[in-house]
Amino acid sequence: MVRSVLYLVQKEFRQVFRDRTLLRVILIVPIVQIFVLGYAANTDLKNVRLSVLDQDSSRDSRSLADAYYASDVFIPGPRASSPAELQNLLLEGQTDVGLWIPRGYAATLLTSDAVAVSMTFNGQNSSAAGRSVGYASEIALQEVGRYLESAALAQPDLARRARRIESSSRFFYNPELRSQHYMVPGIVVLLITIISALLTGVAVVREREIGTLEQLMVSPLTPGQLIAGKTIPFALIAFFELTFATTVAVLWFRLPLEGSVLLLGVAAAIYLNVTLGVGLLASTVSSTQQQAMFTMWFFLVFGILMSGFFYPIENMPREVQWLTYLNPLRYMMSMVRGIFLRGSGVVDLAPDLARLAIIGVVTFAGAALRFQKRLG
Amino acid sequence: MNAFDGHAAAPGSDASSGCETHNPGTCAVLAENLTRRFGDFTAVDHIQLAVERGEIFGFLGANGAGKTTAIRMFCGLLQPTEGDGWVDGISVRENPERIKRRIGYMSQRFSLYEDLTVEENLSFSGGIYGLGRRAIAERGSELLGRLGLDAHRRRITGSLPLGFKQRLALGSAALHSPGILFLDEPTGGVDPLARRQFWDLIYELADGGTTVFVTTHYMDEAEYCGRVSIMIQGKIMALGSPEDLKRQTGAKSMQDVFLRVVEG
Amino acid sequence: MKRVLAVARKETYHILRDPRSLAVAVVMPIMMVLLFGYAINMDLANVPVGILDQDRSPASADFITRMTSGDFILEVARLGARDEVEPGFRRGLFRAVLVIPQGFGERLVSEPLSEIQILIDGADATTAAAVDNYLKAVVGMVNLDLMVRQGNARFRSQELRSRVLFNPELESSHFVVPGLVAVVLIMICALLTSIAITREKETGTMEQVLTTPLAPRQLVLGKVLPYLVIASVDAALVLAVGNLIFGVPMRGSWWLLAGYSLIYLLIALALGLLISAVTKTQRVAMMIALVTTLLPTLILSGFVFPLASMPLPLRMIGRIIPATYFLEVIRGIMLKGRMWFPVQGGVMLGMAVLLLGMAGRRFRTRLE
Repeated sequence: MVRSVLYLVQKEFRQVFRDRTLLRVILIVPIVQIFVLGYAANTDLKNVRLSVLDQDSSRDSRSLADAYYASDVFIPGPRASSPAELQNLLLEGQTDVGLWIPRGYAATLLTSDAVAVSMTFNGQNSSAAGRSVGYASEIALQEVGRYLESAALAQPDLARRARRIESSSRFFYNPELRSQHYMVPGIVVLLITIISALLTGVAVVREREIGTLEQLMVSPLTPGQLIAGKTIPFALIAFFELTFATTVAVLWFRLPLEGSVLLLGVAAAIYLNVTLGVGLLASTVSSTQQQAMFTMWFFLVFGILMSGFFYPIENMPREVQWLTYLNPLRYMMSMVRGIFLRGSGVVDLAPDLARLAIIGVVTFAGAALRFQKRLG
Repeated sequence: MNAFDGHAAAPGSDASSGCETHNPGTCAVLAENLTRRFGDFTAVDHIQLAVERGEIFGFLGANGAGKTTAIRMFCGLLQPTEGDGWVDGISVRENPERIKRRIGYMSQRFSLYEDLTVEENLSFSGGIYGLGRRAIAERGSELLGRLGLDAHRRRITGSLPLGFKQRLALGSAALHSPGILFLDEPTGGVDPLARRQFWDLIYELADGGTTVFVTTHYMDEAEYCGRVSIMIQGKIMALGSPEDLKRQTGAKSMQDVFLRVVEG
Repeated sequence: MKRVLAVARKETYHILRDPRSLAVAVVMPIMMVLLFGYAINMDLANVPVGILDQDRSPASADFITRMTSGDFILEVARLGARDEVEPGFRRGLFRAVLVIPQGFGERLVSEPLSEIQILIDGADATTAAAVDNYLKAVVGMVNLDLMVRQGNARFRSQELRSRVLFNPELESSHFVVPGLVAVVLIMICALLTSIAITREKETGTMEQVLTTPLAPRQLVLGKVLPYLVIASVDAALVLAVGNLIFGVPMRGSWWLLAGYSLIYLLIALALGLLISAVTKTQRVAMMIALVTTLLPTLILSGFVFPLASMPLPLRMIGRIIPATYFLEVIRGIMLKGRMWFPVQGGVMLGMAVLLLGMAGRRFRTRLE
């Protein structure tokens, strides 16, 4: 019983190792992905070019401009000497934000005839622009607050009555606030998903295309043994990738691994159940390798987009959020991030693990049912 | 043993001995009104067959006549639409999986793993049929010797000439010493010398007691069989030993027999 | 030419009979437009926040109300003790906790300085930073207010007018749709074509064709033609859906857009051909195409992640990706109405010529 499965697994591994190019792909693709994505998938708002048109040239106007440059977000862009020039810089794409401080800013600051300071944002990249607007308003507010404070404190009677609330922030998990730490665990999930789902589906269909599947169906092997023989090799390869990716994440990206490695392994095993099942299911509805690849690709892309990897699920409309409850990637993303960054334990992950387990059982059962040892 | 020596000496050439059609267990292969339809198209049309154990049975017919469909049913790959078949006494309708233990199958496309070596393909085949490592090694060596593939053990299958692949496919099918071998167009595309040598191998297997059920569209190969049936558009239009058929139709060769049967 | 059309016809049959690849190539981008336009939104709102009010005074209640008014954060839990914070973070119940220590109300009246604490789940750094910034700003507003209440009515809030150009509603669809056109074109012209050509090699039909009077170049051209048509139709569909459903503007010239798209298309095609020239099996062709064309286009071209936030080596890689330039062109045309793209146009033309030349040479000498 088990021996037959071992023979199948051995054959599959032989085929994988003989295919030089495939081997290179299995080894190189994860490396490329983890390094490129690890550095590129950066949602930190940085290096936003801010151009200033300072028509006031006062200490206060310079202080305002400096407040922006002092933040981590904005960097100096080319200066403008007229509103038209500022507009042009934005139009030509030479700067991202234009700050126009008109004459009279310092003189009228905080009075009833205060001149309006205007900021123009390049809205092409809506998410970056939205966040830039947010940061900009907050910086402006802080600057005004500082000005007010110094003005108020200059008056002794006010100084005596002054009351302030001071807030101190403390960041749990990822105190340096590196967005990489949030992304890299997600990349790990992506890697094992792609490897396990794509390769399994294609592997089964390949045998169907060559004709060897028929030979296997004529043999005494049970459908269970056939399925095991096809999924176990890729599960093992996926685990290898998981180990590799985790090692790179921890050693190179210095990602913390607060939680238990064992739990990570268990979560991965349950998750692989799902991805392998999906790969298998795709193979039962495809007759060519290309069909299998495209079916899997279709589900992968949407699975990734709606998994919370880069786009937060909480921002999606209600109905779409309900849909994501069916997405196994959603659970795995959240669990892996929890294990790496928050040290989440079994108790914390139990509900997600359970849901994933159920999805896994259903998909695998579906695949197994369709995987008959019959041609018709 | 040369395939051209007196096919009259082929075992089981006697048309009626041992196999009783109402007792499936006595026959190697039995078919009763076996039918398979695909939508409107009837690929196999109510065929009746009884193959003796140890016989070399030739399942002849033109391309598209329904031979492969019939073989697939016997191998448990397709369910019959009507009627039933029995292989080694086991019903094709009810227990297709049990049949798979008793048979060996060689498909039209040879179905070998091109990226594995000869040895690896054989050992894989043995393994999935449940043979132990020692059995695989012994039987494998023996077979490789008889197949003339010993010198090519470690060669990658994809690099072999067609004739060698064909022999390897036969070896893979026979490794676990099945009682019945189903060979679907095993000599397709192979040169005449290789074909003759292949039939020598089939004879050796049959001598050992294996029933060989072979389909072919080469009418000259029909001469090598104990009995043949001729399938035309899903129906069996003739059945008997080559001499009987020649006598009945007054033809000189199986080629002629076939043409006469087709024409009427 | 007739022979080329014959090949093209055969390939079209292949494609039509295999609706799945078509579905992926055509339906997927449209679904992505819909997804991005309707569902995906990077702007934070309703970030779940927990409150730990250890003071329970009218002052603290008032403060909490002021902090949680507005859309950015949403109060989802009242904690009873500090040890509920971490489990809450780990279970994803809330992203931040506002802690108002005991005695807050009293201190506010008698002391110059009162303290509160903001505990933030730093795992998702972007949200964490944004929440921190927001909460600090609200505290700043509260402080401003306190100061104004202190009796100096002369101080009024400074007005900051902000304007957003080109996409004033900050619709993510306006950002994404132009990018999707680039993705569609490269997906169909590089990915699909490389798989299609490799498939002939793998199944052996290529060998068959080589015995006919058909020249390799004619074979390749014929195979590629249907995909060109599909790619153009698909790109047009994406633009149409974007414009009709999400109001993505087209402020520039259609002809200019078509022209640059054609150049980009040829680049994608050349890439597909080069990939198929070096691979023997479909699954390898697919993986190589994914890694060298689709992934860079998605990640390093500025489609999703702004290039400015990336480290230098990646930005440099981004500069050799054709999609980066094409995106600048297409966004410039659609959102800004620009007409003149000297840098991008030049680079793209250069790439097209270079890559097509390389592809042409490879297919002339060996078709193995």
